[in-house]
Amino acid sequence: MNHNHQQSSDGRHDDDAALTDFLASLMDYTPTIPDELVEHYLAKSGFQCPDVRLIRLVAVATQKFVSEVANDALVQCKARQAAVVKDKREKQQKDKRLILTMEDLSKALREHGVNVKHQEYFADSPSTGMDPASRDE
Amino acid sequence: MSNGGGESGSKHEQSQGKRKSGGDDFAQAIAKIAVAQVCERVGFQTFQQSALGTLSEIAVRYIHHIGKTAHFYANLAGRTEVNAFDIFQGLEDLGSTQGFLGASDIDHCLTSSGVVRELIQYVNEVQEIPFAYSIPRFPVVKDRKLSSSFLQIGEEPPDEHIPAWLPAFPDPQTYLQLPTRNERETDSETEKIELGRQQRKMEMSMLNLQQQFSGSGPQGPSSVAHGDNPKDKQAAESNPFLSEPLHFEEKEVSSVAVPAKLSKEVASKTPVAENCGVVNHVSVLQTFAPAIEAMKNKLCDSEEEQEKVLMNQRPAVQFKIGLGKKSLSKPLKLGPQHRDVEMISPWFCKDFEKDEKKRRAEKILKDSMENTQELAQL
Repeated sequence: MNHNHQQSSDGRHDDDAALTDFLASLMDYTPTIPDELVEHYLAKSGFQCPDVRLIRLVAVATQKFVSEVANDALVQCKARQAAVVKDKREKQQKDKRLILTMEDLSKALREHGVNVKHQEYFADSPSTGMDPASRDE
Repeated sequence: MSNGGGESGSKHEQSQGKRKSGGDDFAQAIAKIAVAQVCERVGFQTFQQSALGTLSEIAVRYIHHIGKTAHFYANLAGRTEVNAFDIFQGLEDLGSTQGFLGASDIDHCLTSSGVVRELIQYVNEVQEIPFAYSIPRFPVVKDRKLSSSFLQIGEEPPDEHIPAWLPAFPDPQTYLQLPTRNERETDSETEKIELGRQQRKMEMSMLNLQQQFSGSGPQGPSSVAHGDNPKDKQAAESNPFLSEPLHFEEKEVSSVAVPAKLSKEVASKTPVAENCGVVNHVSVLQTFAPAIEAMKNKLCDSEEEQEKVLMNQRPAVQFKIGLGKKSLSKPLKLGPQHRDVEMISPWFCKDFEKDEKKRRAEKILKDSMENTQELAQL
């Protein structure tokens, strides 16, 4: 692993150590995205590696990406709800729930370089997920 | 993640993948669950199905893209197997749109890359949430049992041109029987057709017989209206549809009633003859009388007979269509028609003959009468 670069300075040596530690820690870490799924899609892309750590590395990276996007969407969602609450106080109680909507998601994904344009005729108005009885997961 | 125009491309690729694998729904569903778990941890309570689907699809594409770029960098370095630095390089590529720490430094070491640091930080910070379900390894690859080759069996290939490493032939009886069975099948089919033909022939002959009976009987020809034959034109001229409707009584002229009248006439005539001449002559007249009557009747009938033919054609038009079709299809059906036409013409001939006969008989009669007169004179 370390043969690719030269260890000239202590800083780099620290980085190396951190990296090896990190990779070793991945052996015990179980990402939310299952190994099988990652392996399946990596195999589809021509990726060949028997090392579980690398697969988990990809899984962790993907998980990080997804959680970042979700965080951004959450921020968008909260901001929108705050605006709505200002406008209409009577809907305050209904809008308490945090819903991942296409509107917020597309905004969050745009920041990450993914241009999502969902069709306008989708029944994706903010009120779609409001019904707690039917929309509960 | 490619910027901008990747949207249409992604959809296209996805649809292609679905078409190819077909069993990718399972992986998609798992990706949805995983993404939903991540979203839940972030703080979302619910989500729209479309949003979740989109996000999981993008996550899958993210994995795919990492794999592709890592594979590319591994190949660029002359390796077939990917190592961690290829993945980091790929992550840097993917994160270049977002930007990361130390991206401006071109010659930076991958271990000190901002991407790696962020990743390490993330792993350390975030609570570990395993996937909700245990997943079997997929895709399930069936162990295909290959049929053993000639070499494995230890047989010799039947012909020289078949190499020994090819899979062995199945047992000869499994395929040697096949062509004969095929022939049998075809044979049975042809037999069926033959049977059908024979049945049709039988039906045709039966039909013809029926028609012959009906044609020879008082019922007229079965189907005269179709003028296939020039001889039929005669019948066509006497088209029952074009002809004027005949009155009931006209048709009903009975051949039985007429001779009675005539016989009366003859009977009334004979006394005159008796009065006129000798018993001999009367006997001659009487002997000839029935013949004359018959001839007269025939004469009358011959005219009536034509009408009768017309009349008889009427029921023929009402004949069942199915039978008519069948009789049309074969030239055999012309038989009864021909016969009828021929029947008509001999009738006329007979009538003429009978006319001549009658004339002769009358001549004889006249002669005899004259003779009687002469005898009387004598």
